[in-house]
Amino acid sequence: MSLAATSVSEHGFDAWLAHKRSRRIKNWLIVAAGAAVLAWCVRDTILFDTDWARMGGALGIGGTLERFFWVDWSLAPKLLVPALETLMMATLGTILGCILSLPVAWFGAANVTPSRFILYPLGRFLMVLSRSIHEIIWALLFVGAVGLGALPGILAVAMRSIGFISKITAEAIENIDPKPVEAIRAVGGNQFQVMYYGIGPQILPVIIGTIIFEWDINIRRSAIMGLVGAGGLGLVFFRQMAMFNYGGVTLVVLAVLALIALGEVVSHFARKAVI
Amino acid sequence: MRHEKNIAESRATRGSTADTVASMSILQVRNLKVSYAASGPQILKGIDFAVDGEDFCAVIGPSGAGKSTLIRCINRLVEPTEGDIVLFGQSVRPLRGSELRHLRRRIGMIFQEFNLVNRMSVMDNVLSGRLGYTGAFRSFFKAFPREDIDRALHLLERVGLQDHVDKRADALSGGQRQRVGIARALMQKPEILLLDEPTSALDPKISRDVMRLIRELATEFKVPVLCNIHDVQLALESCNRIIGMQDGYKKFDGPSKGMRKQDLDEIYAMEVL
Repeated sequence: MSLAATSVSEHGFDAWLAHKRSRRIKNWLIVAAGAAVLAWCVRDTILFDTDWARMGGALGIGGTLERFFWVDWSLAPKLLVPALETLMMATLGTILGCILSLPVAWFGAANVTPSRFILYPLGRFLMVLSRSIHEIIWALLFVGAVGLGALPGILAVAMRSIGFISKITAEAIENIDPKPVEAIRAVGGNQFQVMYYGIGPQILPVIIGTIIFEWDINIRRSAIMGLVGAGGLGLVFFRQMAMFNYGGVTLVVLAVLALIALGEVVSHFARKAVI
Repeated sequence: MRHEKNIAESRATRGSTADTVASMSILQVRNLKVSYAASGPQILKGIDFAVDGEDFCAVIGPSGAGKSTLIRCINRLVEPTEGDIVLFGQSVRPLRGSELRHLRRRIGMIFQEFNLVNRMSVMDNVLSGRLGYTGAFRSFFKAFPREDIDRALHLLERVGLQDHVDKRADALSGGQRQRVGIARALMQKPEILLLDEPTSALDPKISRDVMRLIRELATEFKVPVLCNIHDVQLALESCNRIIGMQDGYKKFDGPSKGMRKQDLDEIYAMEVL
């Protein structure tokens, strides 16, 4: 018996070694293939696609970057209104996004959807659509539709917000405790009352947390809306860039930074107050 | 109020099932069958019984006998597959939409796990018992009519929660939460009370207190009760009629006083598998 055991274990050892060797070769092949793809990417995008002649050596690069370093403070008073506009765009966009998210979340939550075969897939599709289109693309669409100004920015931010808010809300609805819902149905409550009394209080903390988070993100989004003509700080950025006033560009970037920091602080305390 | 109480007391002293003073059945269940899936097992396999105006009727039986399903069929939280349920002289099964809601608001229900909205105040939970009678506008703003608020406060006092009106429901103990559940059910001015294991989430002492309270209030408001309960001792103590169920069939139906040990043995025979 002990003999048999020994031979089995020796055989096992050989098999294990062979297995390990083939595994190692396979791993090396994978790494080599990855390196080849990486080399191909670098060659085509960086080596061939860059205008090396125009870059003009280390001094040239440094000289260009240096121009950004001299901040044009004279622009500061003119930034106040666009900064406010950016904040308002973020806030109004978030509010509009929330309102639009309500039906989407309702349709897209499997346990409350009014129709499983039509509205549920529609809700899910709208969630994906909202998130898969970049805010700049949304803004371009709305600038085309309603013209320049803050309004297309608000609409773009709202459209982009729907995906996240409604997805989190729908998931919260799907995870509720069904017992209070049963109770509201049992007292003869209608569909609205069931949702408002049975579901609403359960998902409220999640929703408010999500909205604050989304508002924070929307400040960032609103800050770049101006690049396509939808108002706010982005528009100033775009103009300064067009005038080659690099110091002004830096100041706008600093203003955006300050705004985002402000949003961060406000949302931190707001979230703490809610949850 | 006083008049009501006198009637209640005289009723209680008369011994409940002995005299059936020309009371017609409030609830009639005929040949009720339920299976949750079309091809799935049958949970109820043809149940017949009736509940009269003064019944405090317990449904007992082992787990899986179909007690909860039976209770939930009556207000259609569960859809029956066959048979007939006649409540307040009205057939329950064909009702749709607002007709069904209008029926449901006449039925009070008390749940095993209380089914309160935890993040809402005790008062709002009790007031939600009136939702079946409240329009969309009022319910949106939680602006219930004066008389509802008065009634809610009165009921909260009656169940001993007058000091907890503004607390959140999840700040209460189990027994207190069930009292909120009782007050919510009574807010409906129900014409029948359905109790789904109202005490099995509570400890034995609190269970007895809660059952006593329900019994008292049911007598006071003259509401018949259909109560599904698995604590046999508690059922025999607090109910005047017992329906015994086993594996989807009714095995016993009679006054709790006449129940013998062998009847119980028969109901619970299946429990030891």
